[in-house]
Amino acid sequence: MATVIEKRSLIGQKIAKLDAPDKASGRTRYLHDLDLPGQLHAKILRSSRVHARIINIDTSRARALPGVHAVLTAADVPYQRPLGIVAKDHLPLKTDKVRSLRDEIAAVAADTVEIAEQALALIDVEYEDLPIVADVHTALALGAPAVHANHPDNVTTTWDYAQGDVAHGEAESDVVIEDTFRLHYVTHCCMGVSGIIADFDALGNLTLWSNTQVPFLHKREFAQLLDIDPARIRIIQPPIGGGFGSKLDIYPFEPIAIFLAKATRRPVKLVFTREEEFIASPTRQPVVLTLRSGAKKDGTLTFRSVETLHDNGAYTSWGASTPFVMMQTVSSLYRVPHCKYHTTVVYTNNPYAGSFRGYGNLQGTFAVESHMDRLAETLGIDPLEFRLKNAQRPGETTPQGLHFRTCGLQECLRTAAERSDYQRRHREYAARQADPSPVKRGVGIASMLHVGGGAKIYPSDGCGTILKIDDFAQVTLMTGASEIGQGSETVLAQLVCEELGLPLTSVKVVNNDTDITPWDVGVHASRTTFIAGNSAIGAARKAKAKIFAAAEKVTGVAAGELDLRAGQIVEAQSGRVLMALDKLVRSLHFSDKAELVMTTHYYEPPSKHQDKAFKGDVSAAYAWATQVVEVEVDTDTGIVRTLKVTAAHDVGRVLNRLGIEGQIEGGIVMGQGYATTEELIVDRGVIRNPAFRDYKLVTAPEVPEIDIHFIETMDGEGPQGAKGVGEAPAICMAAATANAIYNATGVRIRELPFTPEKVYRALHAPRPPASDAAGTAMQAPA
Amino acid sequence: MATLPASPEAYFAPTSLDAALQLLRGGAATLLAGGTDLMPQTHAGRVRFAPTLVNLRHVPELAGIAVADGELRIGALVTVTELMQSEAVRRHAPVLVDAGDHFASGQLRNAATIGGNVCNASPAGDLLVPLLVLDARVELASMREGTRAVRTVPLREFFTGPGHTVRRPDEVLVAMSMPLPPDGFVARFCKFGTRPALDISAVAIGLGAVRRERVLSNVRVAFGAVAPTPARAPRTEAALEGRTLDAATIAAAADTARDEIRPITDVRASEWYRRELIHNLTKRVLDDVATA
Amino acid sequence: MSPLREIVFTINGAPRRASVPLDMTALALIRDVLGFTGTKYGCGEGECGSCTILVDGASVNACLMFAVDCDGRDLTTIEGMAVTPLGERLRDAFVAHGAVQCGFCTPGIVMQAASLLAHDPHPTREAIVRGIEGNLCRCTGYVKIVDAIAAAAVGEP
Repeated sequence: MATVIEKRSLIGQKIAKLDAPDKASGRTRYLHDLDLPGQLHAKILRSSRVHARIINIDTSRARALPGVHAVLTAADVPYQRPLGIVAKDHLPLKTDKVRSLRDEIAAVAADTVEIAEQALALIDVEYEDLPIVADVHTALALGAPAVHANHPDNVTTTWDYAQGDVAHGEAESDVVIEDTFRLHYVTHCCMGVSGIIADFDALGNLTLWSNTQVPFLHKREFAQLLDIDPARIRIIQPPIGGGFGSKLDIYPFEPIAIFLAKATRRPVKLVFTREEEFIASPTRQPVVLTLRSGAKKDGTLTFRSVETLHDNGAYTSWGASTPFVMMQTVSSLYRVPHCKYHTTVVYTNNPYAGSFRGYGNLQGTFAVESHMDRLAETLGIDPLEFRLKNAQRPGETTPQGLHFRTCGLQECLRTAAERSDYQRRHREYAARQADPSPVKRGVGIASMLHVGGGAKIYPSDGCGTILKIDDFAQVTLMTGASEIGQGSETVLAQLVCEELGLPLTSVKVVNNDTDITPWDVGVHASRTTFIAGNSAIGAARKAKAKIFAAAEKVTGVAAGELDLRAGQIVEAQSGRVLMALDKLVRSLHFSDKAELVMTTHYYEPPSKHQDKAFKGDVSAAYAWATQVVEVEVDTDTGIVRTLKVTAAHDVGRVLNRLGIEGQIEGGIVMGQGYATTEELIVDRGVIRNPAFRDYKLVTAPEVPEIDIHFIETMDGEGPQGAKGVGEAPAICMAAATANAIYNATGVRIRELPFTPEKVYRALHAPRPPASDAAGTAMQAPA
Repeated sequence: MATLPASPEAYFAPTSLDAALQLLRGGAATLLAGGTDLMPQTHAGRVRFAPTLVNLRHVPELAGIAVADGELRIGALVTVTELMQSEAVRRHAPVLVDAGDHFASGQLRNAATIGGNVCNASPAGDLLVPLLVLDARVELASMREGTRAVRTVPLREFFTGPGHTVRRPDEVLVAMSMPLPPDGFVARFCKFGTRPALDISAVAIGLGAVRRERVLSNVRVAFGAVAPTPARAPRTEAALEGRTLDAATIAAAADTARDEIRPITDVRASEWYRRELIHNLTKRVLDDVATA
Repeated sequence: MSPLREIVFTINGAPRRASVPLDMTALALIRDVLGFTGTKYGCGEGECGSCTILVDGASVNACLMFAVDCDGRDLTTIEGMAVTPLGERLRDAFVAHGAVQCGFCTPGIVMQAASLLAHDPHPTREAIVRGIEGNLCRCTGYVKIVDAIAAAAVGEP
């Protein structure tokens, strides 16, 4: 038994994910693997028309099928209310019309999935077709059919932001450029498809097994939706097969499953097929973005003016609010005094967009960083130097009010550029454009700014923790923060173990039951490590204070001179072991004044709600990164291969080295997919490729060499100095790739994705290529 | 969404070719080999089960690879993995190994069979292109008046349309056979794609020829995914037959290829782009053969 | 409804019999009839590899296989693999190298890796990358998965 214990820190170490052993053994039971006794299986009948009036629904043959327990249409649920966290324009079961191909018309609960599917085929629906509103231009044209009667002009909403005076900024500019960029539909493709299990108990209390990323918000939403007392709703979150922002809103299948559970008085399980997952899930927000920006000849940025059209699809979800993030990129990625931003969100009969990792920032950064390269080239300034000149420093506050307590942008730029040999390669590849070989190389650079400490859009952006230490010095950490595969559970355990001097094996994290865990606003805005981390640390420090106060009495050593190491209470200075922690905890409640070591802490980050003009310091910290992408372009085929990504990320501080590398590698590859392989082909409201066969995720052989560098700016507010990183790595890949393709070929492509045919056309299309100064976007194949 | 598939009503797993052929005499049978196309097609409703499902996997006459009498014979049940690992194939028809390397994934290569691939007659079937270049023949067997009848159809005459072949409902594809390539034979398989495998080709090119110095003879050119079926390209072959493989010949052959094909526009690629790819990649393949 | 056919097979080393509809997939047999939920439904079309199992030692997509075709065959799922020395080595390597995030693709990849290592005990990194080309992962970017398989190949965790 050691008598002296050295201080060892877990911070920055490679910590294995707590749930990995079970996952790698096939023992983990996801939602799909759970079955309740007596459960029924549900299936949804979706519209076969893009835009149509529902004349009649005949469910009689379906109801008569043996094994069918309930068939519901809107007529059977007159109490249903519109759903949606962002706007309530979406009834779960459609009444008089369908507005998109995924619209839910009827739902069946049956003994087996097969019987439920057979029942769907027995439901007869009579439609009267309406003209299809296939895109924003059709929607905005005079006389266009209204997708929603209460929005006769099909404008859902608009967003506006301004700082300074762009007219003044333009007047001051020595160079002004304008381009229209088209950002496309992609979808989350979580490997685990969507699903839910709903069960009412004998007293009408509802339990949901749901992969929601916002359990407490959903509890409140479901209560309103179903007119149930929220106290009677419990949400249990089984391990999730991927989130990426897809589970931040309520979708019709969820209340539908609840309606079926209510009607049948049996548990109801509803799981999507993969095709249904493609067709009925939210997408990333597609955007047509026109950016006009300027700079002075000394390289100072002067203004950015942005107009976007957002295709809102048939119903409103988080996609409609992506301007909230996009305006931050436009106003604050590099120093820009004057800025104007406008979005028109427009209803169509297309799929609707939700929240997707990066949340509008991929789209905004694509435009902004394409322009940074164009401005630099037009001014004759090196693209790295141009960015460095306009890069913010720690301590700055942008005109929008974002305050950069820490800001590693300059270091990110320098590190990514040096480690990738960017400047030399950029010059060399540009010189080689004219070479006879059809295979070209290019490098491109882009940076990103994103919230790294939450985004205060709700009344609270906080997270609660309850922490218990038992007689065996085992810790139970009850946190409101959900684990969505990103490793939050492990990092919270790591932070607590760091405070309490315990091995990772001593901590159990409970994070998946709204009956047990304290409130948290949810997993989004790269907030969990920062906010849930600070909450967990707060609870741990309170526990430590209690332990030291008790230990002082027992050991005679002042509380301020104690430390916890390896499960022992020690003298901080010398490391001399005084007593075992578990013994102290036992003594606390085996004494006269019995007490347990249980503490709570609610952490509210010191961020601000933005005002009506969208100004204010909305996050407790900001994440920065620069990525340099090297590509190979085969001009005979248009194939773009991503060869190498050099990424420099300002993460505040590395907590779990294994976890953070995994997040960055995964985010880079997701960004690579957005840039070069993924495209949800939506054609007059119909998704043409709802299968992995033709919706191309990046596979292992396509992954580039990835070289990651951490910039540790040690954020004063972040847990152990850390900031959020979940979304950052995906955000600037497309922009850097666009710049790399330009470096390789001399052709600037303003439309994603860079799939072979699109690239080939941009390089070789029969009509005269648009000059870059004109900034004309590409047209669809003739 | 698609209507529900009919389920089969009877299932047999015969252990001899004659027993299998006997089952097919009624005509209403769906054949199962690897199942890698049958399962997704039936579940999606693109193909309907016949009342009888016949599993051919236990029929020994359909297995194995053999070289005899100047011919390479590949049994219908040979999987893509077995094909790639076969000494005989690696020696005599390495272009089939190349094509196998671009086939789907390891999991699919372990299950998908040559017979299934040929009968499935996908316009984009990767193995079909090199089989055409190798002048493969399809051996079909049926039961006629109590005895086994066999006929052979050249693969280039086997396909009649996307998913359709001249195989009659009472016939089983027994094997693919092809002459061992002559001395000096070179072959290439080029599949357009952003990945090494797991891709349905937008275009595929197969080339085979006897090369003496830079002159090509006995030229076979086949294209996949640019016509209703994989097919030989006689005009492109004529543009190369007996010619010296110089820049002018290569350019002319590439132009001929571009004009000869009948591609469509679909979700994977447009007609125009497929023509461009065939032109550019045919040129690239020929350049490679010329300088090798 | 399809008639049922009785089949006899071995799964994870144990003999079993089951009565299955003719059009049932091996995946449905494994998950719904036998209760081995470690093998996942990812797409049902053989495009994602989440359902990878071993059949007579070779890796296949269970979603493409007919349950009736399991008759007389030897099946291994992740549950069976996980308690073998190779499975434990892979598990330990996946854990140590951070190759698991949401974990949904993990059973399929471990099975494919096991098949790869059984046939090629010393694969190059390139061979590993090609070896898992039929397995999709949305979380990790594959880097640490390849690291883990490479480590398991040389017997390291």
